[in-house]
Amino acid sequence: MTPSDLLSILPLLVLVVWACALLLVDLWLKRKGVTAFLAALGLALTAGLALAQAGEETTAFGGMVALDGFASFLNVLFPLSGLLGIAVAYGYLKRMNIERGEYYSLLLFSTAGMMLMAHAADLVVVFLALEFLSLPLYVLAAFARPRLDSEEAGLKYFLLGAFASAFVIYGIALIYGATGTTSLSGIVAAIEAGSLGTSGLLLTIGAALFLVGFGFKVAAVPFHMWTPDVYHGAPTPVTAFMAVGAKAAGFAALLRVFVTAFPALDADLTPVVWVLAALTMFVGNVVAIAQTNIKRMLAYSSIAHAGYILMAFVAFGNPATRADAVASALFYLVTYALTSYGAWAAVIALEKQDPSAGSGQAASGLEINDFAGLGRRRPALAAAMTVFMLSLTGMPPTLGLVGKFYLFRTVIEAGQVWLAVIGVLTSLISAYYYLRVVVVMYMREGAPETTREPWLDFTWAVSALATVILSFLPMALFAWASAAGVMGF
Amino acid sequence: MTGAQILFLVCAGLILGSAVMVVTARNLMHAAFWLIAALFGVAVVYAILQAGFMAMIQVVIYIGAIAIMFIFADMLTRRDVRESRAQIGRNWPVAVLLGLLILAGLTALILAQPGVGRVAPALPSGLDPVAALGKALVSPDAYVLPFEVASVLLLSALVGAVYLAFLKKQ
Amino acid sequence: MLLSETAISPLFSLAPLIVFLPVLGLLLNIIFGGRMGEKAIGWLASVASGLTFVVSSLLAYGLWAAHGETVVVPFADWITIGSLHIPWNFRVDTLSVTMMLAVSGVGTLIHIYAIGYMHEDVRFKNDPKRFRRFFVFLNLFIAMMMILVSGDSYLMLFVGWEGVGLCSFLLIGFWYDMDTLGRPSWANSNAAKKAFITNRIGDFGFLLAALTMFWAFGSVQFGEVFGKAEEIAAAQPAVIIAITLFMLIGVTGKSAQIPLYVWLPDAMAGPTPVSALIHAATMVTAGVYLVARSWPLYTLAPDAQYIVAMVGAVTALFAATIAVGQYDIKKVLAYSTISQLGFMVAAVGMGAFVAGMFHLVTHAFFKALLFLSAGSVILGLERGHHHLAHHKGHEEHEGKHEEVFDPGDMRNMGGLRKRMPVTFWLYIIGTLALAGIFPFAGFWSKDEILLDAAKLHPEIFIILTTAAFFTAFYMGRQIWMVFFGEPRHEAAAHAEESPKIITVPLMVLAGLSVLGGALNLPGVHTLGHWLEHTIELAEHELHLPAWLEISWGGLNPVVALVSTLLALLAIYISWLIYGRKPLTAGQKDPLKKPLGFIFTGMENKWFVDEGYWAVFVNRYVDIARFLADVVDWRFWHDWFHDKVIAGTYVWLSHIALNRYADQKGIDAFFNGLGDLTKRLSAFLRRLQNGFVRSYALAVMLGVIVIVGYLLMK
Repeated sequence: MTPSDLLSILPLLVLVVWACALLLVDLWLKRKGVTAFLAALGLALTAGLALAQAGEETTAFGGMVALDGFASFLNVLFPLSGLLGIAVAYGYLKRMNIERGEYYSLLLFSTAGMMLMAHAADLVVVFLALEFLSLPLYVLAAFARPRLDSEEAGLKYFLLGAFASAFVIYGIALIYGATGTTSLSGIVAAIEAGSLGTSGLLLTIGAALFLVGFGFKVAAVPFHMWTPDVYHGAPTPVTAFMAVGAKAAGFAALLRVFVTAFPALDADLTPVVWVLAALTMFVGNVVAIAQTNIKRMLAYSSIAHAGYILMAFVAFGNPATRADAVASALFYLVTYALTSYGAWAAVIALEKQDPSAGSGQAASGLEINDFAGLGRRRPALAAAMTVFMLSLTGMPPTLGLVGKFYLFRTVIEAGQVWLAVIGVLTSLISAYYYLRVVVVMYMREGAPETTREPWLDFTWAVSALATVILSFLPMALFAWASAAGVMGF
Repeated sequence: MTGAQILFLVCAGLILGSAVMVVTARNLMHAAFWLIAALFGVAVVYAILQAGFMAMIQVVIYIGAIAIMFIFADMLTRRDVRESRAQIGRNWPVAVLLGLLILAGLTALILAQPGVGRVAPALPSGLDPVAALGKALVSPDAYVLPFEVASVLLLSALVGAVYLAFLKKQ
Repeated sequence: MLLSETAISPLFSLAPLIVFLPVLGLLLNIIFGGRMGEKAIGWLASVASGLTFVVSSLLAYGLWAAHGETVVVPFADWITIGSLHIPWNFRVDTLSVTMMLAVSGVGTLIHIYAIGYMHEDVRFKNDPKRFRRFFVFLNLFIAMMMILVSGDSYLMLFVGWEGVGLCSFLLIGFWYDMDTLGRPSWANSNAAKKAFITNRIGDFGFLLAALTMFWAFGSVQFGEVFGKAEEIAAAQPAVIIAITLFMLIGVTGKSAQIPLYVWLPDAMAGPTPVSALIHAATMVTAGVYLVARSWPLYTLAPDAQYIVAMVGAVTALFAATIAVGQYDIKKVLAYSTISQLGFMVAAVGMGAFVAGMFHLVTHAFFKALLFLSAGSVILGLERGHHHLAHHKGHEEHEGKHEEVFDPGDMRNMGGLRKRMPVTFWLYIIGTLALAGIFPFAGFWSKDEILLDAAKLHPEIFIILTTAAFFTAFYMGRQIWMVFFGEPRHEAAAHAEESPKIITVPLMVLAGLSVLGGALNLPGVHTLGHWLEHTIELAEHELHLPAWLEISWGGLNPVVALVSTLLALLAIYISWLIYGRKPLTAGQKDPLKKPLGFIFTGMENKWFVDEGYWAVFVNRYVDIARFLADVVDWRFWHDWFHDKVIAGTYVWLSHIALNRYADQKGIDAFFNGLGDLTKRLSAFLRRLQNGFVRSYALAVMLGVIVIVGYLLMK
C-alpha cells in the first residue's frame, strides 16, 4: 500500500473513518443535534480535501480506483449534497420523532459509497460502490418506521434494488467472460486489440445488462417504477438525498464505464440509449401531470430529469462530443441538485405529522393543493419554490435553462436532433405541472401551516439564490464541468 | 460427455428445480429448505469448477448463515405472518413466458460463443487457488480496496438492520 | 429709369425709416402701453406717423434736389434661391414719394383725430382697455402701406398689399364681439371676414399676375420687368394682356370695383377713423397705385386698358346710384368712395395716370374730411343720447338704455347745423369738394379726368359725367337730411359739438380740400411734371372736336362748365326734394313713391350681395356641406370606414380568425393535445399498481426488449 494510493482516496478514507467514529461517538451523545453537527463537519472536511485534490490525475490500487477531474468534481458534489441532506433532515427528524444518530452515520456511509463510485476504475469496484451507497439508502428509506409507507418504501427499494444489482453483476460477468478482465482499462485494451471475435456480442449484451441495472438506479423507463413509491414513502429528507445523490452516482458509473470502456459499442448501444432517453422523458413528464401528491410529482419529475441527462449520454460514443456529453451531464447534475434540494426543502416545510392518525399513518400536508395560499403566508418560501419550479421547467433566466441548453446543444452536436425535439416538447409538457404548483401557491386561497427551521430555511434560500445567481454567472461551473468531462484515463 | 458434464447437468437440474420450488412452495419453511437445496447445488457447481474454497464458503456462509437466518426469521415471526392467500400473482403466465424468453436469448447467446462445449483447461501446477485468493484479497495491487469496502458495507448493513429491527420500548 | 446710387444724397438712406418708425411706435405701445395713459398712447402713435411724414418729406426734397431721378435704396436680401433673387429695396421715385406723403400726412391727422374719437368710443362701447390695441393696429397699417408704396418689386408690393389687407381685417373687426350699435353680435366679425375673403379673391388675381410675370420675364423687380416689357410684348402679346387683366382682378378687390366691391360698405362697421384712413384715403387707393405703377405694361396692352377704364366707369355710376338710397351716413360715404375710386380707376385705365393720381390725392383730403366729420356727427348724437339717458332718471334708465339707437342713421338726425356748427361747416367744405364745385380741390381733379375721358373715350365721359351728377345729388341729400330741418330724434336735439382734438385735424383737412387743387392746376401741372419723372405719358394722336380743342391755360371751359352746372343742378334738385320740405320723424324717403322699384333697388344696393350669396356663397356652403356630410361622414365614415374597413376587420378578427382559426382551429388543436396528454397520463399512471412483482416484471420486459434487439442485430 503505497502512500500515494492512500492519498488518492484520502477524502473517501477520511469520510469512512469519520462515519465509523461517529457511530461510536453517537453512543455517548444525548443530543442528536451534536451528531448532526459532527457529521456535517466530517462532510465539510471531506469536501475540502476533495477540492484540494482537484486537478490531480492518477490511478491507485492497481488500477482499481482513479483520481481525475471527473472524480474530483463528483467528490465535491457528493459531500456538499450530503451537507444539504443533513440540513434538511436536522429539524425534520426531531419533528417526526425519528431522530437517531444512525441516520447521520448511514448518510455518511452512503455518501462514501457515492464517492467510491466516482473513483471507480474497475467493474468490481463499481459494483461494490453501488451496493455500498444503496444499502444505507434502503435503510434510510425505511427510517420512518413504524410508518407503513416508509417501511414499504424501504422494502420495495431493497427488493427491486437487489433485482437490478443482479442484472449488473450478470452483465459484469458477461463482460468478464468476453474480455477476461474487469478493469476498465483492461476492457478498453481488449476491445482495441480486436481479439474478441464472436465474444463481441457477449460484451455488448453484458454492457446492455449493466445499463439496465444502472438504468434502474437512475430511474430510467421502464426501470423506473420503484421511484414514485419509494420517493413517496421515504422520509422526505431521505428522498431529497436519494434524488440527488443516488442519481448522480448512478450517472457517474454510467458515464465512467461507458465513456471509458464501451465507446466502441456505441453503434449498438446508442439506439438503445436513445429509446431509453426518449421514453424516460416522455413517461416522466406525462405521468407527472396526473399526480396530486407533491412527492410523487417530484418523483416523476426526477425521472424526467434523468431522461434529460440520458439524452446527453447518447453522445457518449462519438469522440468529438464525448467530453461535451460528460461535461453537460455533470453541469446538469449540479443544477438539478440545487433545484431539487430546494424543492424538497419546501416540501419538508409543509409536511406535517397528522395528529389524528396513529403512528401507522402517513404524514400529511403533501398534496399539491396544500400549497394553496403559500404565496401570502410565506412569500419568501413561495418565491423560492417558484424559482425552483421555473428552473426545473427550464425557463429563462434560471439555471435550469442553462443546464438544459447545454444538454440540448450536446445532443444536437451528436446529430440526434429528433431527440432534442422530444426533449423540448416534453419540457414543454413539464411546464404544466411545475407551474401548477406556482398557480396554486399564488392564486388559490389557503392557510398552509409551515414549519420554520433555520437549517431548512437556509437550504431553500441558499438553493434559490444559487439557482438565480449561477444562472447569470455559470462560467466557473461550466469551466470546471468541461475540465471534468475529459476523463483522465 | 464427461463425468463433469453429467454431474453438472444433474446439479443444474437440482438447482433449477429447487429454485422453482422455492418460489412456488406454500409453506415458508419448505421454501427455505428448497433454497438450501438450491444453494447446495451451486456449491457443487463451484466444486466442479475446481473452486473448492468457493464451494466451502457457499455452504458455510450462504447455507450456514443466510439460509439458517431465513429459518430463524420464519420461526420467530410465524405467528404474525401467516399467509393464507395464493402466493402466486395473476400474471404468472406472463412472467413465465418472459423468463423463458430470457432463457432462450441467453442460451442462444452463450451457445454462439466459441468456447462453449470445451473442456475447462486444467489449473497450472503449483497454483494454490486458496493462497492466491487470499493474497489477492489483501494485496494493495489487487483486491484489498474492494475487500475493505465490502467490510464497511457490511457494517452499514448491520447498523441499518439493527435500527430497523430494534423496537424501542415505549 | 435709372438706378442712382444712394451716395447722391444721404437723405435717401433714411428711406427704411418710413417702415420702421411706425413699427417702433407699435412695439413701444405694445410693451409700455399698459403703463401709459390713453393720451400718451395716442400721441406716441401719432408722433410715429408724423415722423414718417417728415421722413417722406425729406425724401421728397431729396428727390426734387436730384431732379426726380429714381433712387433705389437697397435694404436687405430677402429671398435667394438658385436663380431667384428677390431683395428688399426701397424705391424712392416721384410716384412712390407722392403716395408716401399722402398716406403719412393724412394718416397722421387721422391718428390725432382718433385720440379723441376712440377716447369717447371705448366709453360708449364699455371697453376702455381696447384703446391701446387700436393705435397698435393703426401704426401697423402705416408700416404696411409704406412697404406697399416703397417696394421695388411686385413681390414687396404684394407683402404690403397683404399687410394692409390684414390690418383692414383687424380694424374692421375691432369691435369683434359687437355690431355697430354695441350689441353682442357676430356682425362686425362677419364684416371683417367678408372684407378679408373678398380681398383674397383679388389677391389671387394679383398672384396670378405676379407668377405669370415671373414666368415670362424671369423677375418681378420693377426695373427688370419694365425694361423687358416691350420685348416681351412684341414676342408674346398675350402674356402682357394676361398679366394686366389678372392685375385688374386684384385692383377690383383692393380698390372696391365691380365685382369685388361688396366688402367696402360692410367695412363701415369699423370705427370711423378706420373708415377714413383705410377705406377712403389710403388702402383702397392701392389698386390705383398699382395700375399707375404698372403703366409700362398697361400702355403696351391697350385692350386691357380699355377694360380697366370701363370697369372703373361702370363702377362709378353703379355705386353712385346706390348711394342715393342709403340712410346710414357712413354708408353713403362708402358708396361714394367706391364711386370715386371708379373715377380714379377709369382715369388710369384711360392712360391718364396723372389725372388719376391727382384725384387720388385730393380725394384723400376731402373724403377723409367727410368721414371724420361724419364721425364727429355720430359722436355728437351719441353724446346727446347719453345725456338723455342720464336726464331721464333711474327708473326709465334701466329700461330705456336697451333701446336700439343708431347714431349713424340719418333719419334720426336733422337740424344739426345749429347744434354742431363747426362740424357743419367742415362737412359743407367736404361736400363741395366732392361734388366738384369750383374752386375746391375736387373740381380740379375731377375735371381733369373728365377732360381726358372726353378726349380719349367719349362713352366713358358720358358715364362719368352721369356719375358726377349723382354724386352731387346724394351729397346734397345728405346735407339737407343731416344738418337742416328739425331734429327727428331726441338724441339729435341734444347733440353736442366735438372737442378740439377732433375738430382741429378736420380743419387742416378742410384747408387742404380747399387749396388742394393747387397741386396740379391746369397749365401748371405741378404734380404732372413731378410724376412725369416716373411715368411716361403717352402722346396720343387725337382728332378732337373743336370744343374740346379749346384750352384756357389748359382748362377746357366746356367740360368744366358742363360738370359744374350739372353739379349745381343736382344740388338744386336735392334741395327741392329734401331741403325745401325737410323730412320729419318717421317719414319715408320722398323718392320712394315716385321711383318705386328703382328706389328699392338703390336702397338695397341692387340686391348684389343677395345675388352673390345665392349664386356663390350658398352654393359653396352647399358643396361644403355635401362633401362634409354625405361624402365624408356618411359615405366615408359611416359606410366605408365603419362597414367596409372596420366591418371587414371585425369579421376577419372575430369570426374568421377568432372563431374559426383560433377557437375551432388552434385552440381545439392544442386543447386536444393537452387533453390527450392528460388522458395518456391518467392511463399510464394506472400501470403503477404498487406491486413489486409488477415492477420487476417491467424490468424484465425492458431487459428482454434490449437484449432481443441486440441479438437481432
